[in-house]
Amino acid sequence: MRILAIIPAYNEEDCIEQTVRSLVAACPNIDYLVINDGSSDNTGAICRKKHLRHVSLPVNSGLTAAFQTGMKYAERHGYDAAVQFDADGQHLPEYIPAMAQKMKEDKANIVIASRILAGEKLAGSRAVGSKLIAALIRLTSRTHISDPTSGMRMFDRKLIHRYARSFDLAPEPDAIALFAREGMRVAEVPAKMLDRQGGVSYLGFTSSIRYMLRTCFSILLFQWFR
Amino acid sequence: MSLTLRIALIVGSLIAVVIVARGVRKEHIRISESVFWILSALLLLLLAVFPQIAFWCSSMLGFLSPSNFVFVTVIFLLLVKLFGLSCDVSRLSYKVDQLTQEQALETRQKKDGTAAASGMTSLK
Repeated sequence: MRILAIIPAYNEEDCIEQTVRSLVAACPNIDYLVINDGSSDNTGAICRKKHLRHVSLPVNSGLTAAFQTGMKYAERHGYDAAVQFDADGQHLPEYIPAMAQKMKEDKANIVIASRILAGEKLAGSRAVGSKLIAALIRLTSRTHISDPTSGMRMFDRKLIHRYARSFDLAPEPDAIALFAREGMRVAEVPAKMLDRQGGVSYLGFTSSIRYMLRTCFSILLFQWFR
Repeated sequence: MSLTLRIALIVGSLIAVVIVARGVRKEHIRISESVFWILSALLLLLLAVFPQIAFWCSSMLGFLSPSNFVFVTVIFLLLVKLFGLSCDVSRLSYKVDQLTQEQALETRQKKDGTAAASGMTSLK
């Protein structure tokens, strides 16, 4: 099984090198691609100097477009699965083989690395948001997903094609809800995660509200028209 | 607020929801963009179903009639959206400029590379 780790990076000069190094060390058989999303800091320069496998988008295009770039790369190079992997060092590469194993065993289309299954408790507003999204997915798709907001997800070939061609498919929980409702198999494996190792989260207060509105509307309403 | 206006608002906001849903289905609009239109439609629906809100707000703000308050609300929403769109257009044209330049410079660089390899030089 050929796996590509897609690492979208926007202004991640503090941790991108370390993230890639630990990924390569833990999973030497897994390819990776850093997508430098028009960073204004030294992310691009670090990728060049340290010879990280990367593409640089000339303008900042957002997580969805950056991730789609990775999916197009995966499609063109015939990968069997692609895993969404954070540049900030939150995700532990040790869990990728377990996710691949689960994908094979369960014939799953999506495998999510779940913090909840690993016994972790989300705190504060993140916990509320995550629980709300999980409830909405249960309601509309009859699928139980313990950690829908986990950013570490593995997609199979079918979904690589789907993402590569999509008009409006974000690597976010509402897409998981859509896939689940369409009858795709969603599996989860327990996985611990770290706190971000540098840089700042792109989710401030207003963008959190916007994120929740978009996600909730998408799951509750727009899913039925897509 | 007349009954006619209320009915028009209800019908209008329902039609708006249908149009937005069709737009999403036909891939004319992204979900993140359509949230604004759905919220606006819901706001108008709310004002039509509970005109007391419009009555209360218009008396608080000193409007002559609640329907004026509804109109002002709509105009305000449109202005906010229009400004947002203006910002989007500026950002988009900046990005297109950057992409065009990037593409042109990249092509030049490739030509320079092959020209140097084959010993050809440009007009001096």
